[in-house]
Amino acid sequence: MGDPGAFNSYYPTFLRYIGTAIVLGLLIYLTYQGLRKLGVKREAATGFALITPWLIGRILLTAFPILLSFYLGFTEYNILWDEPRSLKDPLFNYKRALSFKIVEFDKDERVSIAKLGQLEAEGPDIVRYRELDSVVIGDTRYVIAATDVYLWRAIWLTLRYAVLSIPLGMAGALAVALLLNQNVKGVGYWRTLYYLPAVLPAAAVALLWFWLFAPNRGLINWALGPIYDLTNSEPLGWFTDKNLVLPSFVIMSMWGIFGANTVILLAGLKNIPPDLYEAASIDGAGNWVKFRHVTIPMLSPTLFYVLIMGVIGALQLFTEQAFIPTEREDGWFVNWFLYNEAFNFGRMGYASAVGWLYAVFIIAITLLVFRSSAAWVFYEGAREKEAGGA
Amino acid sequence: MAKYLRIAIVLAMAVALLPLATSRAQEPVTLRITTWAGVDEAAEFQAIIDEVNASQDAFQIVHEPKPSDYYTVLQTALAGGEAADLMWLDQDHMPWAFDGVLLDISDHLANDDRDTGNPDDYFPGVWQTVAMGEGVYGLPWIAQPVVLYYNKDIFDAMGHEYPNADWTWDGFKEAAIALTNEEHYGFSLNGWPPPYIWIWGNGGDVVSEDLAEAPVDDPAVIEAVQFYADMIYNEECCPSQETIAEEGFGEMFKAGRLAMFMGGAADDLDRVEGLNVGVSPVPKGNATGENTTFAWIAATAINAKTEHPDEAYEALVMLTEGIHSWKIVSPRVSQATVEHLVASEPRKEANAEDIIAAVPYMRGFTLFPGYLEFNDVIWGDYFNPAFNGEDTAEALAPDARILLEDVLASQ
Repeated sequence: MGDPGAFNSYYPTFLRYIGTAIVLGLLIYLTYQGLRKLGVKREAATGFALITPWLIGRILLTAFPILLSFYLGFTEYNILWDEPRSLKDPLFNYKRALSFKIVEFDKDERVSIAKLGQLEAEGPDIVRYRELDSVVIGDTRYVIAATDVYLWRAIWLTLRYAVLSIPLGMAGALAVALLLNQNVKGVGYWRTLYYLPAVLPAAAVALLWFWLFAPNRGLINWALGPIYDLTNSEPLGWFTDKNLVLPSFVIMSMWGIFGANTVILLAGLKNIPPDLYEAASIDGAGNWVKFRHVTIPMLSPTLFYVLIMGVIGALQLFTEQAFIPTEREDGWFVNWFLYNEAFNFGRMGYASAVGWLYAVFIIAITLLVFRSSAAWVFYEGAREKEAGGA
Repeated sequence: MAKYLRIAIVLAMAVALLPLATSRAQEPVTLRITTWAGVDEAAEFQAIIDEVNASQDAFQIVHEPKPSDYYTVLQTALAGGEAADLMWLDQDHMPWAFDGVLLDISDHLANDDRDTGNPDDYFPGVWQTVAMGEGVYGLPWIAQPVVLYYNKDIFDAMGHEYPNADWTWDGFKEAAIALTNEEHYGFSLNGWPPPYIWIWGNGGDVVSEDLAEAPVDDPAVIEAVQFYADMIYNEECCPSQETIAEEGFGEMFKAGRLAMFMGGAADDLDRVEGLNVGVSPVPKGNATGENTTFAWIAATAINAKTEHPDEAYEALVMLTEGIHSWKIVSPRVSQATVEHLVASEPRKEANAEDIIAAVPYMRGFTLFPGYLEFNDVIWGDYFNPAFNGEDTAEALAPDARILLEDVLASQ
């Protein structure tokens, strides 16, 4: 044995792997035997037995952490501690995230921390109200104060990102799908080419864009150089300029045009019966009318799916920001905010509470999108059923 | 299916138990040490580990370098109970001791008569980063004072005298302005060097000795922060943020675009080919009258959950002794000599005297529970707004003090 020290160091891990394999093997076996004794058919019992490891993994690695995080949201917890500490006010973390107030100042008075006051809840930290925004009416400045301004700025940034990137991304993906749906020579080649960016890891894409947007050595500012010279202006700072953080991320998200959404929309386009276009042509419809009154309605279920996935994806942006550092004051997305609260600021309890609040928020937004679908999503089968019923 | 499963399980158990015989034959305890060392640094460190392993039979040290995302990896390992027995920590992360993850080695030190384990042989400003509260949580292995690197060719071309230990901060600022022209800047700041150099030199501090107050509205602190704010990104003396982003911070000095630059004593700025570089202690503090400077400090600490605390302590002392003759600058008073520094790093021979001159005046941060949050607040609500020109240090200080004292009171 070349390096006994290294082997001994790895040995416990090795043993755990083997132990896990044995336990899973036993579980599969016992599940199979148990189901067979209950009279389940051999084929079904084998199927259930074989998915047991996945089911256990799902319970242990997904369901359990989700439930645990709900509990942690009512505690004070740093992951370096052996166990969470109870809070005198179990809702402290939620109050810290959600507390707002409006404080009046004279128009020219400096907004001071002392006058904004602090959160009236018993917790491990003293939490102050901070200025989120203000409105001047007459001689009075009304300051909207929150106990966690960074959270609300993160939510605001993430929402604006979603509102801008989703429609642009969907329109772009649809345009590419329409192009790839044409009967041109070598369409298979083009489809493969346009899908290639989607197979790159998100981290690599983020680093690539970080380089493209580099203020003075990046390709984008190099390409814009002549314009800067013409207008006698300074090169844009992109990710380093707090006013351009959002546009930079939105532009970067356009990369997603070439990827899964395009393939899904292309599949949707392929499913539109050609006779609908023929009928429209006979009625004298031009390309735009056919697109507006045939393609879009027939594609709306697919667009709806892409929209739902886009909303959830945009609100959960994480990897890109993990590789593209921006100042907290300039803009953090919500998931990056959560990660930092949990791992860098040692507030796993608070991060868990915010995580649950945010999950409820995402579900609410998704439900709203679902509710809106009745107004614009056309399900051919449903209409036929309606027509048949009538 | 059952038959095959039974066979597979028996085989797997046999394979799992096989190494036990080998394990029993290994008498020395295996200790793991995790570090942020990259490939070259790890190879050099391995030589020290090999020496320690060969010198005794009680334990064998295994090096587990994690050069990427070190603290996230380490924190996760600590949380999962999988962390190594020993670990490198910089001073920013030594407050993990207050979370109970580092072993208090006070008792071991009390019974140790070796110089490496003698607190009196460490510079007090360095020792304070491992001796926190009632305990001692590691042994420092490096203390790099921030020194002033200067480009002699630029000074000669501009007819300016070289920096020296008698310079004052006002004189330094005048020099930075005088040494700025279309080709180069006098100096550069971007949050580095730490503003604490100016604050401490001005006789101020951001936290009181009893850790109850954060006197950042003290005139000495305000003056120092404003001095820094007036220089940073001010093209009269220093490059703008965009220029630094374009050309790189340290790279600007290496490219001959800066007359002066502050860096750690171990930095390679004085051995750039084609660059004629000198080293000086930083200017004298206005109040201290000394060349008060910041030190980047790192220590080796022991995991509180190690199964072999005695062996881990022994390994800690032996490794630290080895590192003190490898890394510069050694944090020990008895090793603060030109000879020891040159023996550790021969490439620093030309400037060794100036580096050693800076050593007595270096110090690290005052550490306490909540230090990381305190640091976050002081940068977010005081330094950054002042340095970005959002407001003056004087206007920002009162609110910053309230927020910082909240952090202190919460601990």
